[in-house]
Amino acid sequence: MADKGKVGREYPPITWEVERGKIREFAKAIGDLNPIYHDKEAAVKEGYKDCPVPPTFLTVPMMWSDKMSAVINDLKINFMMVLHGEEEYEYYRQIYPGDVITGTLSVADIEEKETKSGSRMDMITLEVLYKNRKGENVAKAKTLMVERK
Amino acid sequence: MAQELFYGDIEVGDTMPEQVKGPLQKSQHVMYAGASGDFNPLHTDDDFAKAVGMKDGVIAHGMLVMGFVGQAITDWIPRKYLKKFGVRFSGMTKPGNTISITGTVVDKRVENSENIISCKVEARDERGDVKVTGHFEAALPSRGNVQK
Repeated sequence: MADKGKVGREYPPITWEVERGKIREFAKAIGDLNPIYHDKEAAVKEGYKDCPVPPTFLTVPMMWSDKMSAVINDLKINFMMVLHGEEEYEYYRQIYPGDVITGTLSVADIEEKETKSGSRMDMITLEVLYKNRKGENVAKAKTLMVERK
Repeated sequence: MAQELFYGDIEVGDTMPEQVKGPLQKSQHVMYAGASGDFNPLHTDDDFAKAVGMKDGVIAHGMLVMGFVGQAITDWIPRKYLKKFGVRFSGMTKPGNTISITGTVVDKRVENSENIISCKVEARDERGDVKVTGHFEAALPSRGNVQK
């Protein structure tokens, strides 16, 4: 059962360098062959400074840094009982190869709900704010996790 | 791949070109696990998946299906114009599923001098079962004022 005392907690930020090869690999894993993700020239032609990242790319720093699993442990959530309920991104600036971004994760909300069938679950909302080296906001990710009990 | 698109070209009720992905292969789960860093064995290890109650074995990462939806969007609306994109995961996607992504423009408005379009999106499998519902917003240029 999620630890409600941790609503509002902010975790130490992760720092992540965006690699060109990881953008290409991520797009390919989705099967997204849009040339803007692997061909700088094609991206520049379409008005980008370099290859941009696919819309869901910001899952990469969270998962590869093990931040998400560390937070799940800290919140005493039973990993085996967790479902990913919702995911939402807000985009403020493009992200390009070589950018160094920091992501700060905070616990926005933990709410207990009861389903029609009477089983209880915790709805855990996490937010990650990503900034660039200049301290400008780049994107925000919001994750809703559902812990069945 | 997405063509340049202008605010004046889009009307409420317009539909996004349908994108069809799949049939999904287990090997794609492995590729996505490696690319994303999500190594939950629920997506790659049939024995593990069965042990936690998935009678048919592994299921796809929800984020992979969200990635499919993202591809459908950015094949239509240039990536640089995307402002917001969210989904709710409502059904499990399994190997062999073919996922069709559709979308509709539900609103357009000028907000803080940006031309915003709001759309709803949906991903269904070959039987019509809904996997993901979602929404996105994009800020489009006016004709003669292309964002660089």
